[in-house]
Amino acid sequence: MSTLAATHVHETHSHAHEEPTGWKKYIWSLDHKIIGIQYLFTSLAFLLIGGGMALLMRWQLAYPSTQVMASGDVGNPIALPFINPQFYNALFTMHATVMVFLVVMPLLIGAFGNYLIPLKIGTGDMAFPLINELSYWFYVASGVIMLAGFFVAGGAAAGGWTAYAPLSSVAAYNGTKMGQTLWAAGIFVNGLASIMGAFNYITTIVNMRAPGMGFFRLPLTVWALFITAFLLLLAVPVLSAALAMLILDLNFGTNFFNPAQGGQPLLWQHLFWFFGHPEVYIMILPAMGMASDVLSIFSRKPVFGYKAMVFAMIAIGLLGFIVWGHHMFVSGMNLVLSAAFGVSTMVIAVPSAIKTFNWLGTLWGGSIHFTTAMLNALAFVAMFVIGGFSGIFMASTPVNIFVHHTYFIVAHFHYVLFGGSIFAVFASIYTWYPKMFGRMLDETLGKIHFALTFVFFNLCFFPMHNVGLGGMMRRIADPTAYEHLRSLQPINQFITFAAIGLGFSQLLFFWNFFRSLKNGKPAGKNPWHATTLEWTVASPPGHGNFAVTPTVYRGAYDYSVPGHPRDYIMQNEPDAPDAPATKPRTTALVG
Amino acid sequence: MRFSTRTRFWAVLLPLVFVHQALQAEIRETSVWWLPRNVNMFGHEIDFIFYVILGLTGVTSVAVFSVMIYFLVKYRARPGVPAIHSHGNNTLEVVWTTIPVFIFLALAIYGNEQWTQMRLRQPPADAIPVAVVGEQFGWNVRYPGPDGKLATMVASKVGKENPFGVDPADPAGADDFTTYNEVVFPVDRPIRLYLGSKDVIHAFYVPEFRLYQDMVPGRVYDFVWLKAEATGNFQLACNQLCGQGHYKMFGKLSVVPVAEYEAWAKGKAPVKVSAQETKTTAQVTVAER
Repeated sequence: MSTLAATHVHETHSHAHEEPTGWKKYIWSLDHKIIGIQYLFTSLAFLLIGGGMALLMRWQLAYPSTQVMASGDVGNPIALPFINPQFYNALFTMHATVMVFLVVMPLLIGAFGNYLIPLKIGTGDMAFPLINELSYWFYVASGVIMLAGFFVAGGAAAGGWTAYAPLSSVAAYNGTKMGQTLWAAGIFVNGLASIMGAFNYITTIVNMRAPGMGFFRLPLTVWALFITAFLLLLAVPVLSAALAMLILDLNFGTNFFNPAQGGQPLLWQHLFWFFGHPEVYIMILPAMGMASDVLSIFSRKPVFGYKAMVFAMIAIGLLGFIVWGHHMFVSGMNLVLSAAFGVSTMVIAVPSAIKTFNWLGTLWGGSIHFTTAMLNALAFVAMFVIGGFSGIFMASTPVNIFVHHTYFIVAHFHYVLFGGSIFAVFASIYTWYPKMFGRMLDETLGKIHFALTFVFFNLCFFPMHNVGLGGMMRRIADPTAYEHLRSLQPINQFITFAAIGLGFSQLLFFWNFFRSLKNGKPAGKNPWHATTLEWTVASPPGHGNFAVTPTVYRGAYDYSVPGHPRDYIMQNEPDAPDAPATKPRTTALVG
Repeated sequence: MRFSTRTRFWAVLLPLVFVHQALQAEIRETSVWWLPRNVNMFGHEIDFIFYVILGLTGVTSVAVFSVMIYFLVKYRARPGVPAIHSHGNNTLEVVWTTIPVFIFLALAIYGNEQWTQMRLRQPPADAIPVAVVGEQFGWNVRYPGPDGKLATMVASKVGKENPFGVDPADPAGADDFTTYNEVVFPVDRPIRLYLGSKDVIHAFYVPEFRLYQDMVPGRVYDFVWLKAEATGNFQLACNQLCGQGHYKMFGKLSVVPVAEYEAWAKGKAPVKVSAQETKTTAQVTVAER
């Protein structure tokens, strides 16, 4: 007992584990920072894979059934000199699956959630470090299982990322029994990783905040991840159940979803979208939180309407669970049900509008520094606005029956997920890279990368609204097969060139990212003059983060406080004994 | 940063490539960048709501982006000019919460009203019943004969051998005739669709009709009806991923003058053993393609 007690005295904070060194650090480390960085590197690698699939698809859409850039076989396991329809179907299925489960979620939640939560709330590590590490390895395993589908008989799953039954659940219909099973198994394992992460985050945020860190002093990044963790915990198990049923249907003769044997295809849709719609918010809430913080830092202003932002995110989280039916308006659902889902879907737009207005409010009266991080955060706001507006068309039931399953919706969700989430990820990488690696990213390269990405992104995805309105269906391998789409083909080629430009612009980012690991300017503790706790420690922070557990005296956004010599006050800075109390300090809007 | 001559050359050329591609687009009846023409009676309402939302979101986007750009210019960092320290304004929060609530609720209620009307509107008694059943990867179509009546479709009977799920002894079906991947509608006559699927989910989609309906196997959809207002040739496309051949699951859909429709229907032989015949036709057509 005495030795145990001695260890605890030595280890002043929650982390009771030893830090491995060298290469072992990147396999066995239980440190939340290392795990966060592992997530970051792995998901960026998957981003390249998912992006490569997108480019192959775009090539096929622009020049159906021609060799990709005259390269012959592009590693297509079906060994055809061009992308055949089944491989095309596998490409868009796996592109979406990879981007959703292996890129956007792990980047936002795995990488930044792990890295930032303990640092921002002032603690040494996650509540359950071992489970945290397990979660990462489950994530890696899920990626391997999903991509293994490309190398089995029949190829990878080709039923769309929504895997509507009975196409997905009856082997005779899809021809990819093994690939579809691996797809389901991969997402099942991925779900385990998400659940492990989610309860870890919730426990950590509830129990391990530094003294003085009340809930309403948490940075919005932490709030967003906290709410996201609840969504994961409630939504993912439903998907897991559906996936288990799908695996049983495919391999063990059950008929949950097969109407020919008394099953119900709509059961899959309800279960999938009960997960799928909260999932949409899982992929945007953390982006909203981090973008809010970035906007505040580089406007040198507190987040406008902090509490309204928090309540808006809680509202999104709650409403997110009662809108799933809007994905099924066209399935022939009962009118009372479609009315209810139609109203809840319109109502969920309100908190998003509130957040947009508050972001504009944060810019108002600021001292805006156009760093690369800020440019990406501003792009996030702008693209999210466009993505939100195009969503209103789909939310309106009558219009939905025209634009449903066309490129209009492809444009919509890429504006939200790429324009929104990925721009927020870039903003976050530029902001927190100095903390993670102790060096700054190159700003000039960063700005060129931003400009190219922003321009090519819009050239690529905006015209998709138009081809969608023109009647182009999504998920068709060859638009030129249709008379009514043949005249749209030049626009499709245009989109493909823009996509290629967008894809290759990312190489600049990767170059900057890896070059700066060695050559970047040293960052110092607090390069952005930000207020939150992660900026009070060295870059990168040592094992255990804080030598002494910090005490928090103020909210996360004390920027430009009048009368203070600096334009930022750290959260752990006490008020000077003779100064007036800094809390609550609200200034009237005008003046 | 300095740019070489070659970089400048490409910087000028690349945008031109894009413009060139866009200009190549053939101009179709309306415009390649916009909605195709609408030929369905119900399409006008959908287009109207579409334009209402477009106007609303268009105006709001312009407003939001103008404010954003104005702020970005006006409040750019300048030496000696500190940011205003403000944590927000509750009155503003209430205002910009309440206004969207009313706008979005109004949109939801209005849209739902239109939707309910469209769905509950009963087809007139003289509507021509047409059954359309999807299969991997084609369309089985069944028309009534001179009696104007289709054999009753039973969802649970729809299957490989019996695509329309009919009772062979049904007297209403004796004079029905079927086609494969070929749909002909008379202009200005209401058509009532009976939609079903033999295997996986398909979707009945004709952009010019502003019409999309999922066909989930195991049920028959009998609430969709339409009235074409103009003649023309269109394509009936499957718009729900249905497998390897999904991309070419389309049929010819023409809207013709009533007399032409009647002549066409008269030339069709009624089904005898409906299931077997359709099956054979289906196989032949697939093999031919």
